[in-house]
Amino acid sequence: MHRIILKRCMVQVTGSNNMKLLTKNTIWFLLIMLPLLAAGGIYLYHQFDKELKKEMDEELENDQIQWLLYFKSIPDNSPVFRITTPEFSIHPAKGPADAQPLLKTIMQYQEVEHKEVPYRQLEQVIRIREKFYTLTIRKSLIEKDDLIKNIALVMALAFIGLLLFVILVNRLISRSIWRPFYQSLDKMEKLQLEQMHHLTFPDTSVTEFNRLNEVLLNATSRIYHDFVIMKELTEDAAHEMQTPLAIAQNRLELLLQDEALQPSQLQSIAQTHEALQRLSHLNHSMLFMAKIGNKQFVPTGNISIRAVLEKHLRLFEELIRDKGLTVSTDISGDLSLLLHPLLADTLISNLLGNAIKYNYPKGAITIQLNEHLFSICNTSKYPPIPGPQLFQRFKKNASTLENSNGLGLAIVKKITDMNQLKIYYIHKENEHHFIIRKNKHPH
Amino acid sequence: MNILIIEDEQALQESIAQYLGKQGYVCEVAVNFREGIQKISDAEFECIIADIGLPYGSGLDIVKELKQIRSDAGIIIISAKDSLEDKLNGLGLGADDYLTKPFHLSELSARVNALLRRKHFGGNTSIIFQEIQVIPASKSVLVHQKPVELTAKEYQLLVYFIANQNRVITKSALASHLWGDEYDMAGSYDFIYSHIKNLRRKLMDAGAPDYIKTVYGTGYRFE
Repeated sequence: MHRIILKRCMVQVTGSNNMKLLTKNTIWFLLIMLPLLAAGGIYLYHQFDKELKKEMDEELENDQIQWLLYFKSIPDNSPVFRITTPEFSIHPAKGPADAQPLLKTIMQYQEVEHKEVPYRQLEQVIRIREKFYTLTIRKSLIEKDDLIKNIALVMALAFIGLLLFVILVNRLISRSIWRPFYQSLDKMEKLQLEQMHHLTFPDTSVTEFNRLNEVLLNATSRIYHDFVIMKELTEDAAHEMQTPLAIAQNRLELLLQDEALQPSQLQSIAQTHEALQRLSHLNHSMLFMAKIGNKQFVPTGNISIRAVLEKHLRLFEELIRDKGLTVSTDISGDLSLLLHPLLADTLISNLLGNAIKYNYPKGAITIQLNEHLFSICNTSKYPPIPGPQLFQRFKKNASTLENSNGLGLAIVKKITDMNQLKIYYIHKENEHHFIIRKNKHPH
Repeated sequence: MNILIIEDEQALQESIAQYLGKQGYVCEVAVNFREGIQKISDAEFECIIADIGLPYGSGLDIVKELKQIRSDAGIIIISAKDSLEDKLNGLGLGADDYLTKPFHLSELSARVNALLRRKHFGGNTSIIFQEIQVIPASKSVLVHQKPVELTAKEYQLLVYFIANQNRVITKSALASHLWGDEYDMAGSYDFIYSHIKNLRRKLMDAGAPDYIKTVYGTGYRFE
């Protein structure tokens, strides 16, 4: 029960769109790293591009210097001054000469590639001896483009690889760093009130986790301390109530014998006596629950539920007959439980008792028993018991009888909780169904 | 028949003595362990009712003491603690019965009655009430020497009634006698009514007068 509450609180705290810490970490990392890497990639690409262009321009300028030196060494009427090729052309022009060469990128058809390809072009009007010429030198950019593409590809691959590696390492590191946290979380999740004083956390190498564990330990020991005090108070109070109750009840019983009393007075006394009887039943049940919680009923050996069931079917025979109930049993084996005999009796008695009490006249009770489970199902006009209230003490709802103390199911739950058993409740087609199984995975 | 009641709660002790006194027993009382031991050594009792939690000692020690002096008194332990160990301890030491507080005086009376019968006649005697004869050994009932067929619950009811004759018995006392406190009756005692109706009919059919009187809104009286 306490575990369920704890879980419910956690869901409320984390909200509906929760995700694992590791996932959140990775997503944030990706959200920040991807634009950063992309921006870096683009910047690098541009830098490369610029650098290569500068290199190309320098080459073109060097070529031009070489050519100029050469032009000065040849006569004016040399055929060289009429050369026109895609890469190099020179032809007479009008002056004046340009102070600086004009560098630009153009598209030009290339025979080899059969398409327009980019070229870097240097163009300048130069003066060689008294004549002006337009000198154009071009270099294909296709190799440079390929180069940049290759570099970009390699870079992208390296970046992606790096990113994946970092994510992986990050996850591995996170997982190992957060391990103590998850261990603590796990412990808290499985924690039951009665076992709180057994709680320990291993020392971790992280200050914050040690602090967290210390805080958890302090909180749980405070809770446990309060719980023990409350429990003792309940027990003492319940115990101390027995004697005054006995006195009051017995006094009233004596008073009932007084023949001078009027019928109406007798009735008042009887009603008071009845109310005290209920109070002492309640008190008795509370004490009983406290004792179960305190593990005062240590199992003495395996109990045959079949024998207990048969005993109680005999015990309740008249009650069943009076109400005209049909009991059908399907006993294909015996469930053997490690339970204190009194608890086994109470378990079966409460469940069978409820199946009779909450039934309607001429209703039915179906009991199934085998090596794995005990199941009891009864017809009823009462609505299903709302899940959260099912095993709660004193939870009165539409399906509680007027005078019931509402502790029957709470006691059953307590017995199952303390003895590695599980109880399930199903309601369908006006039938209440309780199933008890051994708990395969006790904490 | 004299009974010693060792109980430190004055009011409780008085109630018990008064109720049992009206049933024809002679009751002596003690308020603590010392007084109890004193009275045991002074006189002989057929039955001793002892509380476990007493000043100066435990009711269990009274049981030990009684066994030591080889008393053949019947012993009923009463305790505020509904503890199985106490019960087993008491019975193991030689107590004959164990009752948890709070209890019905009619229940105590029935237990005393059964205990004395067992102790003194070894259960081989019959309980006679007018023309009704109950034979505990065979759990059979005769009215005018003719057997009457009773169910187990009807038989229990009859014995309980005879042990508490002329007393008003509440329905809750009857319910917890028949089914024990284990089963929470949820305040509905309708089923007792049908058992009583059957018992009354069977006894009257056999020729007995109607001994079971309904006390309106309260319970029943056997007279």
